[in-house]
Amino acid sequence: MKKTLCRAAVALAVVAALATAAGCATPAAGSVGSVGSVGSVGSADRVRVEAHAVAVRAVSHAQARAKTAAACNPNAASLAPDGAPQVTAGSFMAKIRARGYLIAGVDQSTYHFGYLNPLDGKIEGFDIDMIRAVAKAIFGNPDKVEYKAISDAQRIPDILNRSVDIVAHTMTITCARLTQVDFSSVYFEAHQRILVLNNSKVDSLAGLAGQKVCVTQGSDSGSTLRLPTGQRQPIVVSVPFWTDCLVLLQQDQVTAISTDDSILDGLHAQDPFTKVVGPALSDQPYGLAISNKHPDFVRFVNAVLAQERSDGAWRASYAHWIGAPVPPPVAQYTS
Amino acid sequence: MVSTATHLGGQHQLQSRRFRLDLRTTPARMRLLLAVLVLTNVAWGALAAFTASQYASAASAVVTTREPLSLDALQIYRRLSDANDAATTAFLTGGLEPAAVRQRYLADITAAAAGVEDATALGGAGQGATADDLGTLTTGIPIYAGEIETARADNRLGLPLGAAYLREASALMRGTLLPAAQSLYDAEYASLGATGAQATGLPLITITAAAGVGLGYGLYRASRWLSRRTRRVFNLGFLAAALALVISLGWLAFAYANGRSSLLTAQARGSTPVAALARVDIAVQRAHADESLTLIDNSGDDSYQQDYLGLQRSLGPGAGTLLTDAQQATAGSKAAPAVTAMVADARGWYQAHASLRVLDDTGKHADAVQSALGTAPGNAGTWFGQLTGNLATGIAVDQAAFDSSARAGSSAFNDTEAGVIAAALIMAAACAWGLSRRIVEYR
Repeated sequence: MKKTLCRAAVALAVVAALATAAGCATPAAGSVGSVGSVGSVGSADRVRVEAHAVAVRAVSHAQARAKTAAACNPNAASLAPDGAPQVTAGSFMAKIRARGYLIAGVDQSTYHFGYLNPLDGKIEGFDIDMIRAVAKAIFGNPDKVEYKAISDAQRIPDILNRSVDIVAHTMTITCARLTQVDFSSVYFEAHQRILVLNNSKVDSLAGLAGQKVCVTQGSDSGSTLRLPTGQRQPIVVSVPFWTDCLVLLQQDQVTAISTDDSILDGLHAQDPFTKVVGPALSDQPYGLAISNKHPDFVRFVNAVLAQERSDGAWRASYAHWIGAPVPPPVAQYTS
Repeated sequence: MVSTATHLGGQHQLQSRRFRLDLRTTPARMRLLLAVLVLTNVAWGALAAFTASQYASAASAVVTTREPLSLDALQIYRRLSDANDAATTAFLTGGLEPAAVRQRYLADITAAAAGVEDATALGGAGQGATADDLGTLTTGIPIYAGEIETARADNRLGLPLGAAYLREASALMRGTLLPAAQSLYDAEYASLGATGAQATGLPLITITAAAGVGLGYGLYRASRWLSRRTRRVFNLGFLAAALALVISLGWLAFAYANGRSSLLTAQARGSTPVAALARVDIAVQRAHADESLTLIDNSGDDSYQQDYLGLQRSLGPGAGTLLTDAQQATAGSKAAPAVTAMVADARGWYQAHASLRVLDDTGKHADAVQSALGTAPGNAGTWFGQLTGNLATGIAVDQAAFDSSARAGSSAFNDTEAGVIAAALIMAAACAWGLSRRIVEYR
C-alpha cells in the first residue's frame, strides 16, 4: 500500500520529476547517511567482533549478521557448499521439493538478465538461467519454478516475509544487505557506470552536478552518486523499474541513468541512441539472495553455482545473453 | 416592469394636460380606468409570456444541451476506461495482439476524442472546472495514445521497454484522464439537475398566477363600478377579457403541470437511475483494470488487489452499496431486470476473481490470465463481460426513458408563449372596446 503513492508519482513522469526534485532527493541522501552510519558503528565494534570470528558456524544468526556487517567482504560472505548439490531429508530443499515448485523473485524488465519477453510472455535472461539451474538440481526439471516478478524495493521484504525462496534480480551483495539476508557466492561482477543520450556532453559523475539522474527505488545505485562536499549534488529521481528510467531519459526528463553496466547495456540495447560513459564508479558483485534462516539452502545453491562454473553452463549462458565469454567469478566463502 | 411603470406615469401626465382633468366627472374616470386596464393587461401578458419562455427554454435546454452533455461525459469515461482495458489486455495476451482487441482500442480512443470535441463544442468550455477537465482530456488523450503506440512498437521488437511505456500510459489514464472524465460527468450531471429544477421550479409560475388572479379581481371590481355608474349588469368587453384571462391562466397552468410531471418522470425513471448505473459502471471498469494489473504489474505489492477488494466492497450488493443503490434507483424503471441480473453477475465475478488470484498466487499465471481473458463459463472474463453487457443495456434503456419523457416535458410548453401574448392583447382590446362604448354615451 505504501507503494501506491510512489507508483502514481513514478509513472506520471512529470509528477515524478517534480516530486523527486522536491522530496525524493532527501530520502536518497538519508539512505546514504544510514549506510554510512552502519559502517561507522561497525568499525567501532570491529575489534570485539573479530575476536569471535573463528566460531562462525556456531554463533546465532543475529551475531553472525552483526559480524558480517562489521568485518564485511561482500565477495567472500557466503557459506561453502558441502560437495555436490544434494536434497537431504528435512532440509529446506526437501520442503521445496514437497511443494512441487521453487518460488523465485525475479525482475521482469531488465533486458538480458530478467525480463518478460513480450513475444512469448515468458520471463527469461541470465538471472533466470541461474534459477533454472537451481530448480533442475532440486527437481531434475528446470521448469519447476514459479516466477514472481518483483521490483528492486521488494527484494529484501519478500525474502524476509518468505513469499519467495530465492531472489535472482541483478542484486549486489552489500554489507548493509548482508545484515538482513544471505547471499550465494558471486555469480556475476558488474560495475556502476552512467548511461546518457548520444548527444550528451556528460562523461563522468562530475558532469552530473545539479542534474537529474534516474535510479530505481530500492537499488543501491543512488548512494554512489555523491560528489565532494561543496559541489552541487546530482538530483536522484527514483522509479520502480529500470525501463521506467529509460522512458524518462527518452522523454528528456532526466539527464542520465546510473547503475550497473550490466543493466545499462540492456537499456542501450533497447535504445541505440544512448551510450554508457565514464569510469566504473563502484564494483557490484551479484549474488542470489536467500533468507538467512536457510543456511542449508545457501550451501546448496553455492554447490549448484560451482557446478555451473565448472561444467561450462555459466559460460554458455553468458555467451547467450551478454557477450563474448569471460571466466566466471571465482567463488570465495566465509568458512 | 420598471419601464411599464414609467410609461404609465407618462400617459397620466399627458391626459392631465389634455383634459385639465377633473376626476370628479365620470367620463374622466372611465378614461383613466381604460388606460390603466389596457396597460395592466399588456403588462400581465408580458409577465406570462416571460414565464412561459423561461420554463420552455429550461425544459428544452434539458433535452438539447444538458442531457447530451452529461451523456457525452459518461461516454467519454466509459470509452477511455475501455481503451485502457483493451490496451492492457493486448499486452496481457503476450505475443501478437488479437486484431479484435486492437480494433476495440482504436474505436474507443476515437470515440472518446470525438466525445471531448462534442462536449467542448456544445458549450462545456468556458466554465471554470468543466473547462479545465475538458482541457486536461483534450491534451491528455493524444499523449496517452502516443505512449500506447510507443509501447506497442517496443513490444513488436520484443523489448521490455514496451511494458514501461504501457505502465506510464496506464498511470496517466488512471491518475489524470479518468479522474478528469469523472469530474466532468459529475459537473454535467449536476448541471442537468439544476436545469431540470429550473424547468420544474415553483416561484415564477406562482408569481405569474397570483398576478393573473389579481388582474381578474381588478376586472371584477372595475366591472362592479361600471355597472353602478351605467346601470347595466354586464359589460360584454369585460366578460370577454375575463374569459380570455381564465383561458390563458388555465393554459399556462396546464402546460406547467404537464411539463413538470414529464420532467420529474424523466428524472425518476431516467436520469437518476442512469446516474446510479453510471457510478456502478465506473467502479466496475476500475475493478476490472485492477484485475488485469494484478496480472501484469508485479511490482511486488498488492495495492491493485487491495483496490479491487475495496471496490468489491463498495459495489456490494448490501445496504448502502452502489449496486443496491442502483437497484433502488431503477426499481420500477425499465432497467430493473438488467440490474437484477447485474447483481448475480457481480457475485459470480467476485468468486471467479478470487479463484483467479489463487491460480496466480500458486504459480499458475497462465491459467489466471486465461480466466481473466477467457469467455468460457465460470471465467472471470465471462462474468465481467455479462456484467458490463447488462450495465450497458440498463443505461441505454433508462436513457431512452429519460429522453422520451424529457421531450414530452419540453413540448408541453410549445406555443404557450404565443398563446398568452395573444390572450393579453385580446383582453386589452376587449376592455378598451367595452369601456369606450360607455364613454361614448357621455358625449
